[in-house]
Amino acid sequence: MRTYLSLAVLAAFALTAPAFAAGKSPAAGKTLKVGVIADVTGGAGVYGTPQKNAYELAGEDIKSGLIDTGGVLLTFDVQDAASDGNQVATLMQKFITDGSAVVLGPTLSGEAKKADPIAVKANFPVVGTSTTADGITSLGPCVYRVALSEAQVIPTTVKKTQASWKYKTAAIIYGDDNAFTKTNGDIFKEQLENAVVQIVATETFHQKDVDFQAQLTKIKEKKPDVIVIGALAPEGVKIIAQARKLGYTGHLMGGNGLNSPTIYNDAGPGAAGTAVGAGWYIGANYTGNKAFVARYKKRFGGDPDQFAAQAYAGAEVIAAVAKRGATTPAEICSGLKTLPLAQTVLGPIGFDVNRDVKSAPVILQIIKGGFAYFK
Amino acid sequence: MLVQQLVNGLVVGSVYALFAVGYTLVFGVLDILNLAHAAIFMVAAFTTYALVSVGVPLWLAFIGGCALAGVVGIALDRVAFAPLRKRNAGTLIPLISSIGVSIIIGAIARGIWGIDEKHFPVALGDAPPIHLGGITVTAVELVTFGAAIALMLGLSYVLRATALGRNIRAVAEDRIAAVLLGVDLEKTIVMTFFIASALGGAAGILTGLQYNSVTVDMGAGIELKGLAVIILGGMGSITGAVVGGFILGAVETLSVAYISSNWRDAIAFGVMFLILVVRPRGLFGKRALRAA
Repeated sequence: MRTYLSLAVLAAFALTAPAFAAGKSPAAGKTLKVGVIADVTGGAGVYGTPQKNAYELAGEDIKSGLIDTGGVLLTFDVQDAASDGNQVATLMQKFITDGSAVVLGPTLSGEAKKADPIAVKANFPVVGTSTTADGITSLGPCVYRVALSEAQVIPTTVKKTQASWKYKTAAIIYGDDNAFTKTNGDIFKEQLENAVVQIVATETFHQKDVDFQAQLTKIKEKKPDVIVIGALAPEGVKIIAQARKLGYTGHLMGGNGLNSPTIYNDAGPGAAGTAVGAGWYIGANYTGNKAFVARYKKRFGGDPDQFAAQAYAGAEVIAAVAKRGATTPAEICSGLKTLPLAQTVLGPIGFDVNRDVKSAPVILQIIKGGFAYFK
Repeated sequence: MLVQQLVNGLVVGSVYALFAVGYTLVFGVLDILNLAHAAIFMVAAFTTYALVSVGVPLWLAFIGGCALAGVVGIALDRVAFAPLRKRNAGTLIPLISSIGVSIIIGAIARGIWGIDEKHFPVALGDAPPIHLGGITVTAVELVTFGAAIALMLGLSYVLRATALGRNIRAVAEDRIAAVLLGVDLEKTIVMTFFIASALGGAAGILTGLQYNSVTVDMGAGIELKGLAVIILGGMGSITGAVVGGFILGAVETLSVAYISSNWRDAIAFGVMFLILVVRPRGLFGKRALRAA
């Protein structure tokens, strides 16, 4: 009889133990599959690869308990969209129907504009981690983003830099064949005009261009106080180097696209002083940020960039939503809506009524071998 | 500004020309478009980068990169073109075959070097720019321009004044007659691929050095332009490829300087279209290689 009693007690303990072990989470014991669409290869592979790395790290950190999911078994199915818009759409379709509960991605704003409407039709939640162009979250009622949009970052960038540099004239050079860089150029133009800065030249380029000397020679002739660069890092690094090579000595500034180790590592000494408006600072003291940077560096052999940090923050946000009990697409959609501030490597973040991230932009300045806060 | 922009255009144009010369050489001899030429352009740049990274002097790494590009070109011919040539497969099938090889080369390069942009560890690009009056040029631009011109002059000499050059021109003129006259056809084709690929590789290395940037997809930007240049110059014409390269470089640069950067490619290709409307066979006709 005592044996039966002991077995019954053990059985009762075994049944209730996982709930105790997982704390008070309503979601303990559930599973949540996150579909990730990232351009690991192809033209945007330089942005998708750090994202893939970040999800790998987040997966390991969830397993080891560094990221608290409240006992939910959260997994990331990272699929390579190969920088191909059609593949992005196909993957979105796949994740909507394969048991995934939410999609993180895709990498580029242009891709999101193509694929997110597929998710919107299916009432499926999407969280962009690097889609910062205009008109992303307005695609549907469950399209969110953890990346600060250009419209949120650039006004502060212009305000702070103008207060310090006192510039009166500016030239803009931006990529006109990419939703992100085009938005960058457009918003900088609008904000500079609002700040009564005279725009003396506006030049464009295409993604993958390597020679910007014709545009920069033309800009230099106009002697602007500042050159504004609406570019992603590969083009941005060359624009900075070639502007200095041509003898331009004025100020340089740009947006999120320049927030990459590539800029301070490869643009040469002339990059020092360049102002960068961004959504994340590698040296920020937010909870977990420095530990994330150190783990990423150890795991992948180089500093994380903003793409990696925002992807990791996306994983942290989904973990926070899961911890509150949301594991189905509908639950995640409403969970994101009601999520109080979540602690991430980007700092404490939440979402506004437009589903854009609520977070403070940081204005950085390139120094030798890194970034510092803009002074 | 005009002089500076012309200098910019000359440097860009010299690389276009060097790339296009190799492209057109293969077409002139075999009547096929080698769409793997841009992949070889990339392989040479990566090889040179890899050699410099392990301490090989730049000049030696440059030669190594060109030589490997030449060898890859020969392998390309043996794998993608020679079997089809034996079966008289025409000109379209080798085109597809070369696209296939190009994709395979890209995948291998991605596997070896990854997708990240690579930068030469040597400080060639760090040398202070040279200011001459209102013009600014860098040492690497002078080297690029000088090397491109020297290589094109070298090719011209080989084609005009050597036995190999005579054989290449003979095969280009009439393959059967050349064989009847004792020209070793396969050996001549192999050497043509070696030279063409080495020149395309040199263009890749110079591009990589000039912008201090080597990426797996670096050939994508020049592939279409190179094709446009050889059509503009006249398919198979070495002189046409050189002139076409410089025209494209100048038109691109001047359209940015005096019209709008938004319209750069549209204007460049529009000008080429107009030239081809007037001279449908290109600036230097179809078979100028024979008279090279």
